[in-house]
Amino acid sequence: MSDANPDFTLLRVARLIDGGAGRPVERGAVLMRGGEIVAAGPEEQVVPPEGARVHEVHYEDKTALPGLVDCHVHLTGFGDGRSGDELATLPDEVLTLQAARNAADHLRSGVTTVRDCGAKNHTTFMLRTAYEMSITSGPRLSLAGRPLAIVGGHLGYFGIEATGEVECRAHVRQLVKEGADFIKVTATGGSTRTSFPTRPSFSPDELAAIVDEAHSFGKHTVAHCASTQGMVNALDAGIDTIVHAMFVEPNGSWLYRPDVAERIARQGVFVNPTIHNGRGRVLALERKRLEQGLTESEQAELDGLLRRDDERLAAFAAMRDAGVRLVCGSDSAWSAYPMGGFQHEVAAHVEGGMSHMEAILSATSASARSCWMDGEVGALEPGKRADVLVVDGDPSQDVGALWNVADVYLDGERVTGPGFGVS
Amino acid sequence: MGVNKVANDAYTLIRGGRLIDGLGGTPVENGAVLLRGDRIAAVGRASEVAPPEGAPTATYDYPGKTIMPGMVDCHTHHNGFGDGRPGEDVAAQPDEVLMLQSARNARASLVTGVTTIRENGPKNTTMFRLRDAVNQGILIAPRMVLCGRPVAIVGGHMGYFGTEVTGAVEAKRETRRLIQEGADYIKITATGGSTRTSFPLRPSFTLEELRAITEEAQNFGKLTATHCLSTQGIINSLDAGVDMIVHCAFMEADGSNNFREDVAERIGEQGAFVNPTLHVGRARAWTFMHKRDEQGLTAEEQARLDDNLRAYDDKLNDCRRMQEMGLKVITGSDSSWGDYALGNTFFETECLVDAGYSAMQGVLSVTSEAAKALELFEEVGSLEPGKAADVIVVDGNPAEDIGALWNVDDVFFGGRLLDRGTPESVDAFRQLRPDSSPI
Repeated sequence: MSDANPDFTLLRVARLIDGGAGRPVERGAVLMRGGEIVAAGPEEQVVPPEGARVHEVHYEDKTALPGLVDCHVHLTGFGDGRSGDELATLPDEVLTLQAARNAADHLRSGVTTVRDCGAKNHTTFMLRTAYEMSITSGPRLSLAGRPLAIVGGHLGYFGIEATGEVECRAHVRQLVKEGADFIKVTATGGSTRTSFPTRPSFSPDELAAIVDEAHSFGKHTVAHCASTQGMVNALDAGIDTIVHAMFVEPNGSWLYRPDVAERIARQGVFVNPTIHNGRGRVLALERKRLEQGLTESEQAELDGLLRRDDERLAAFAAMRDAGVRLVCGSDSAWSAYPMGGFQHEVAAHVEGGMSHMEAILSATSASARSCWMDGEVGALEPGKRADVLVVDGDPSQDVGALWNVADVYLDGERVTGPGFGVS
Repeated sequence: MGVNKVANDAYTLIRGGRLIDGLGGTPVENGAVLLRGDRIAAVGRASEVAPPEGAPTATYDYPGKTIMPGMVDCHTHHNGFGDGRPGEDVAAQPDEVLMLQSARNARASLVTGVTTIRENGPKNTTMFRLRDAVNQGILIAPRMVLCGRPVAIVGGHMGYFGTEVTGAVEAKRETRRLIQEGADYIKITATGGSTRTSFPLRPSFTLEELRAITEEAQNFGKLTATHCLSTQGIINSLDAGVDMIVHCAFMEADGSNNFREDVAERIGEQGAFVNPTLHVGRARAWTFMHKRDEQGLTAEEQARLDDNLRAYDDKLNDCRRMQEMGLKVITGSDSSWGDYALGNTFFETECLVDAGYSAMQGVLSVTSEAAKALELFEEVGSLEPGKAADVIVVDGNPAEDIGALWNVDDVFFGGRLLDRGTPESVDAFRQLRPDSSPI
């Protein structure tokens, strides 16, 4: 039933998850035209117009769902455990190449939209330019460019260290001029050597200026928060997404704050908890323990990390109960989390207490909403971009099925070829 | 090559309908090549080539097909697009974008059977950074021989890529700087070219400047190659002891074509290689022909096409004379310059055969002879024990029909079978001959 020059592409699948709140549809179909979804639903309701030229693809025992939306990536990262400080020493050209490679890998793993939460200089903007010139391709991009950091603050090595409201506003304007889709700000320190993860970074007036300036351009804001006071400051400033959301006191102890969670929920702020990223180091230590044993300090580090993982999962569950909008973003290829494995973070959301279906939504429609891209992506609905993931099995019963990628469609085109870089 | 190294004790046995070793002898029927790790271990008749008893071996059989050395393209522009845009427009792109384009072009070369390239002019440090990325395992690329940036006079050809020098001292200093940055050889534009502010029919550097560059390169054991679009540039290059003449156009200052047998003789005597770059001109003609076939040409375009075909004919004749004189004429595509995109090196070899080479001479011009021109023959360019395990498999017999080089079936690079991707993704790199083309 296929045609050499089809107007429409029709995917028939055993089941369809459309990214909405409803149950999966058995025997579903997606009809696409010119990169856009025309119809999606039970196959008897998805019918191309009479006489139309249609390319039909049948997927037996497979599930179609919206292409995954990873609301937190670092495209220039390596995911091999190297620190951000080391990463930032690489030349821009090399980082841009790595970004192209990661983008291609992530796309082939089922992610059709990414929000890049911080890269050095112009590297990710250059990747977008290369997309536009058809040099390479990858997931749809939402870009921060460089994050805003304080002097010595987290990710400041990527190119922006700002002090005072005026400088903050100027940097936001500069980023928007360069093509930023949103503004990333590091509201606390982080892994950056010269930063203080348990302390807030920007003062409330600086944060408020950043958010206000971004909003005046219609851009949303995302704050890195590795400790509680940073979250409070970000909420005061009217932030749109809190990343990491670690309930850490200045002395480093964990203290879940129901009052803060309640404020997050009340203000409708999204939380991207990045559970899996912290596990890269855990896995490395556990591997070492099995192979050659750990030193005392390494054992203590492992114990601490495992405890923190438990605390973070407990906070995840508590925030979920409090009605916080939890969205899935991998934070790969930061630290030891390579790209192409967004599925790990989706699985962590199930560990945190979500149903499998809820975790899928957190990685599709909800994630798209947090990126202010739900008009375009995140659901299989008429008018949305034809970004479709086809997997073996039924991920609504077990998100592990998301690893079994059969095909990925971006803008209605089946993704083929070996990707970019090493293969 | 970082993450891609094959284990040193792994054997790969490749057997085919015939084997061309790249040394010029009669192809071996039912030939085979045995690879050990990233090196060639044995070459010969399939009946005589076998791994040691019990050694773990991956065997690949290609009945009816030809096994030959990975191709060597002596002249590439990996920054380029091959879509007709001038060099000025390429140079206007940011380095990051040019890097990505270079990475794409590197793949285009590899999947079409070119396993070694010599870059003839990129911007700034883009190719050095690409090499860094390859060494870090971010991507794969053919073996690369790099010049960094071409050395030009102020306003000279490709000066926009970053190096314009005046005087022997500056010429010497910039040569040293390129070598410091990692240059494997030195590329010099000895005449103007397509660069708007340059004069293609005139020599560019003074002889003193040229000599300063070539002598400094020789001090470091580096080869030199000069871009020569007119005869005086060739003469100056020979006076300066250049190792390869690129383009080698016998044009007088008044724009007339005049093959100078005396100059050609000198090239032969000095043992310089000649890279005539025939197809890059034909590619321009093909662009016009494609347009003619699709929508017709304006009178002005038709006139330009006619000029182009005349110039191509002159170049083909000059090339034939040089081939007949026994000059070392080798394949260097010049892609992705002008209208000629990487992934189509074959077309240049085809032109050399059209000019007068036998099909086998064409094969040698893109394998062993090209490797010799780069002083890499110890490492690549033929199938001989001890050399790098760069082997390609083509459909058909290129020793009889050079067109077989177009039909690359598989590529073994450094002993490893390359994932060439889908046929469509390979075709995406291919340029097509216009239906109406007589050439």
